[in-house]
Amino acid sequence: MSLASALPAAQRSRIFAGPLLPRLIAAVVILGSWEGLVRAFAPDFVAKPSAIAEVLPRVISGAPFLESTAITLAATAEGLAVALLFGIALGVLMGRSLVADRALRLWINGFNAMPMIVVLPLMSLWFGYTGYARFATIVFAAIFAVIINAAEGARSVPKDYVEVGRSFRSGRFRLLFEIVLPASMPYLLAGLRLATGRALIGAVVAEFFTAIPGLGYFILYNSRTFHQNEAFVAVILLAGFGVGCDALISWGTRHYLPWYRRDEKAE
Amino acid sequence: MNAALKRYTPIALSLGGGLALWEIVGRHTSAAFLVPLSATLERLVQLYETGRLVELFLSSASLFATGFVAAVIVGMPLGLLLARVRVLREALDLYIMILYATPMVALIPFILSLLGFGFVPKALVVFLFAVFPILYNTVEGARSIKPELIEVARSYRSGEWALWREVMVPYTLPYTMTGVRQAIARALVGMVAAEFFLSSSGLGGLIMTASQSFDTAGVFAAMLIIGVLGVALTRVGTLLEAHFARWRD
Repeated sequence: MSLASALPAAQRSRIFAGPLLPRLIAAVVILGSWEGLVRAFAPDFVAKPSAIAEVLPRVISGAPFLESTAITLAATAEGLAVALLFGIALGVLMGRSLVADRALRLWINGFNAMPMIVVLPLMSLWFGYTGYARFATIVFAAIFAVIINAAEGARSVPKDYVEVGRSFRSGRFRLLFEIVLPASMPYLLAGLRLATGRALIGAVVAEFFTAIPGLGYFILYNSRTFHQNEAFVAVILLAGFGVGCDALISWGTRHYLPWYRRDEKAE
Repeated sequence: MNAALKRYTPIALSLGGGLALWEIVGRHTSAAFLVPLSATLERLVQLYETGRLVELFLSSASLFATGFVAAVIVGMPLGLLLARVRVLREALDLYIMILYATPMVALIPFILSLLGFGFVPKALVVFLFAVFPILYNTVEGARSIKPELIEVARSYRSGEWALWREVMVPYTLPYTMTGVRQAIARALVGMVAAEFFLSSSGLGGLIMTASQSFDTAGVFAAMLIIGVLGVALTRVGTLLEAHFARWRD
């Protein structure tokens, strides 16, 4: 019998025991003090909850917002896809080949430790102030987390699995696609989770920097023209997207890989 | 001796090979695109001799340190408080999780228009990048404390202070340190972002000004320094985490 169910019923049904009410109260307190502080001390253009709620329907049905969202999400997905493709290939290679691992590990870890946004000016030198600079930034931001996790995953595949595959005369490709990749799935998902967050940051930062259309630029433009409330709607969307991806991936891990439990590694 | 040789030979080969590749590719491409290692180092020495490198480094370091230390000072006690006071934790954990997953860079334009270009808004950016990993991981750690542990402590008539010292802090600290490691990496991103998008200063500012004047060697010199800094700080974070996680399974 678990401790929770052993608690007296009265204690469990106590009104504060449920997480909903404290959360609601906290939300009211947080939003209330934000609203109050801005009204009391800040100039009129500063974002506040009531005004954000007021502009929300108009903003999310407006063309500029929808277009910016579509552009940024498409660019992020595109960069992420490329980062996944090459990252997994390189990671699996490192995980399965000692030579590749020794040759590359130092550099991959080094690049991973580098704050990714330092490449922005270089990317804008190379690609100009275009979507290509954003694309390259997203790939750079995302790929190292993918490589590291894919390598760790490929390394962790139990030897027995591979040996069974070999003794049934499985070819290299079948070994890769039917044993190594499925067995390293949890690692790949952990890598994807990190990579998605970073790709999104990369996209927003690249749009700030190069002023090309997208959500980052939408925020920049609106906040510069004293439309902070409108800009904040985009921040909410980005937060929602970040949380949503996280939730989706951990749901996927729990649902499809229930046998797997692992603390989040390397950020 | 032999063991050391065996261990460090691949590292030296990989490092040497990569740097040689950089040098060779750099020599055969346009200088506007990529400069070789030698030119980057030359520029670095130049910057050092004029005293500018030290100045920029100190400017960046003070920004990083201010924001990061503030994040630790706020994040750790607040995290522990949330660990102990269950109602508070239940009230706030969802919001901490949301802020942890929010790309904080999106807030930079707001900070800029509210607080301007000074040191404080920049340190605030670093702080915002760093504080939520610490809070989030501390709360996660607190949530995983087995209620039995507290029950046992209570049945032995443990006082509040002893409960903190013997159960809460030792149990949550390893998680907090995971947060600190993540915070170090994020604070570094925050530092560069602040130096890019608020007022240009420090090593990030050097990258900006160098790229605007097509001084590719300057860009690579600054990137090299920030990269080395990133590797060193990550190492510190990993060691810190490993030190406190000794007993965690």
